[in-house]
Amino acid sequence: MGTINSALNLMAGALEADQEALNVVANNVANANTPGYTEEKPDWQQNAPISVGGVLMGDGVTETGATSQRDRVLEERLDQQQQLASASSTRLTALNNMQALFTPDSGTAGSTAGDIGSDITSFFDSFSSLERDPTDNALREQVLTSASTLAGDISSAASSLNGQRDAIDQEASGVVSQVNSLSGAIAQLNLQIMSASPNSDAGTLEDQRQQDLSQLSQLIGINQVTTQNNGLEITTTSGQLLVSEGQSTQLTTGMVNGVTDFFLNGADITSQLTSGGGQLGGYLTARDTDVPNAVASLDQLAYSVSTSVNAQNSSGTDLNGVTGTSANPLDIFKEPAQLAGSAAAMSVVMSDPSGIAAAGAGNGSGDNSNAVAMANLAGEALGAPTTGFSLTENLDSTTPVNGTTAGNIVVYDTRGNTYQATVTYTQQGANTWSYSISLPAAAFASGVSTPVTGTMTFDAAGNLVQIQPSGAANPETVGTAPNDVSSIPLGFAGLADGAADLDMSWNLLGANGTSIVSQTASASVQSAGTQNGFAGNQTPINYYSNFVSTLGATVSEVQTENTAENASVTQLQTQNNALSSVNLNDEAVAMSTLENSYQAASQVFTLLNTVMTSALNLGEETAVA
Amino acid sequence: MQESDAPVAKPELKELVVEASRALALLDAPRLDELAASCEALNRDLDSMDVGEKKELARQAREATADMSVLARVLEATRANRNVMRRLREMCERRLEYDERMIRGAGEAGAEAGDIDGDD
Repeated sequence: MGTINSALNLMAGALEADQEALNVVANNVANANTPGYTEEKPDWQQNAPISVGGVLMGDGVTETGATSQRDRVLEERLDQQQQLASASSTRLTALNNMQALFTPDSGTAGSTAGDIGSDITSFFDSFSSLERDPTDNALREQVLTSASTLAGDISSAASSLNGQRDAIDQEASGVVSQVNSLSGAIAQLNLQIMSASPNSDAGTLEDQRQQDLSQLSQLIGINQVTTQNNGLEITTTSGQLLVSEGQSTQLTTGMVNGVTDFFLNGADITSQLTSGGGQLGGYLTARDTDVPNAVASLDQLAYSVSTSVNAQNSSGTDLNGVTGTSANPLDIFKEPAQLAGSAAAMSVVMSDPSGIAAAGAGNGSGDNSNAVAMANLAGEALGAPTTGFSLTENLDSTTPVNGTTAGNIVVYDTRGNTYQATVTYTQQGANTWSYSISLPAAAFASGVSTPVTGTMTFDAAGNLVQIQPSGAANPETVGTAPNDVSSIPLGFAGLADGAADLDMSWNLLGANGTSIVSQTASASVQSAGTQNGFAGNQTPINYYSNFVSTLGATVSEVQTENTAENASVTQLQTQNNALSSVNLNDEAVAMSTLENSYQAASQVFTLLNTVMTSALNLGEETAVA
Repeated sequence: MQESDAPVAKPELKELVVEASRALALLDAPRLDELAASCEALNRDLDSMDVGEKKELARQAREATADMSVLARVLEATRANRNVMRRLREMCERRLEYDERMIRGAGEAGAEAGDIDGDD
């Protein structure tokens, strides 16, 4: 019953939204109802055929006659609904293009994004095949082939989405010249109408202005306020002035972070235009929300699969007896530097199939335990292990020798399990501290925690200047100059849950290149801690399925909105046509038709809801019985 | 007259919902009344349905849920449009009353002025 309840909830939501729209109309009514405000206005007739369930309604209007100025209220409502319908129609087109990309078997030679679901299955299945004969070269080749197909399709999908975003950006940019042309024309018409009113008939000019307004409202969301002598002030729906009687303000564009932003009087109003409606609102919603959401989902898929598979492969032994290390990992996929952009950059870097570590660490090449672990990743939650962390911390320089302080950070392994890593600093003498980084003993299969240790040195100003991991021949200079280090590698092997070794970088510098671990005469305190791992709650294939389902649900929701908005436009055009003469009787008939239709439809809805609720309940009871 | 044995094609629930949305978009009140009557009949028949019919209706209900969302949205848009039309009518009636008062007021003022003139 969730869907029917959702439908009812939608009604409640729409109620609030429409009340807002009505408030705007009501506000403008006060301005419209002024003495001398009785010039003739154009009348409109619908052009398009009506159909619900796939075919749009109310597509465009035609001027057919003249009617009273008091229909401005109706025209404004019509403009409002047209700008909503225009926005959802534009967004729907973009969403349909996105959805087509992920439809199975829709791929061409250049794009096979629709196959990503089967690619994921094939890739992990290839490890299951390798389990049977871990030294078989053909099976190893198959793993790399499957990996290439998966990486290629994800990368291709991300590239196609970015291409769609660029195309939408260009379309959005193109709307500006039309908006400026129309707002300029409306300002000129305003002047002519104001000079004619109230002493002479400006009907033809008002016809032209209404046509321009109708077109403008399909391009961007606008509000209209009538001024003295039948002039008009037009603002964006968020209140920025576009036309004030005879003056119009031109929209301009500029590139910001690689996309077109929109400016009015030097102020960036892109976000306001996004929510305002019209074609531009639809384009911007698709460009700034729908496409980025899809790309972000693919990024997470690519990042998680790449990092998890690489980490697991590095923790095993390849056909040559080599086990991966932090310095020389056995990466199958190109290791992503960061989450953003992971999908577009996804590729296979391993060319020699002997690099696939089917055997567990320390086992002979005939062992398959790591191939089993790789295959099992298909059934594990889609997270990403921590590959780097930062701790912003001050060490109290007045701490006595052998005095300690500590910092903490929660890190993730390849199976999504978390551990609290503890960094313990011990005062060794003037400006010198030792460090010891450890995970809880329970994290290890052996039950023994072996910390990673070293020494750090600070300058007189309290900046970390040198670090020397235990076992290193010489200290490293911390900084951004060539040969300096900004981080040090840490590794923890033999985790109890069978996850791949936890190989991480301890980042020592902040974004501005200065050390984030400092030593001053202030109290020891950890002020921040960040890391880049995350836990997932879905397997790779489930994550992808949910992504495609969510996209489909969004398309369906926007389609519903668009159908309803076009229906509303059709109704308003019908009403406007019925009011083509200044005749209260005609108006009463039109009103009566609307009332009767509404009442009858309400009854139909209520009855249908009852029937459907009962049917579903009865169906469920029957099924249980 | 003998009834035909040929099965009468019953529209699916989904078609009924889509038709209601279409009729509402066109403000086709008579068609909506017909649909309401059909729904009432369907509602009455619920209790007498056998297991197979109930299962079939449940299937149709599941398939029609998305279209019910559309009908709900069209209905709400219609309600908002109805409110706009009501306000339009109220505004028109207020202006007519205002104009009548102005005319009456002007007439009374004229008569009063005439009286004064008469007095003169």
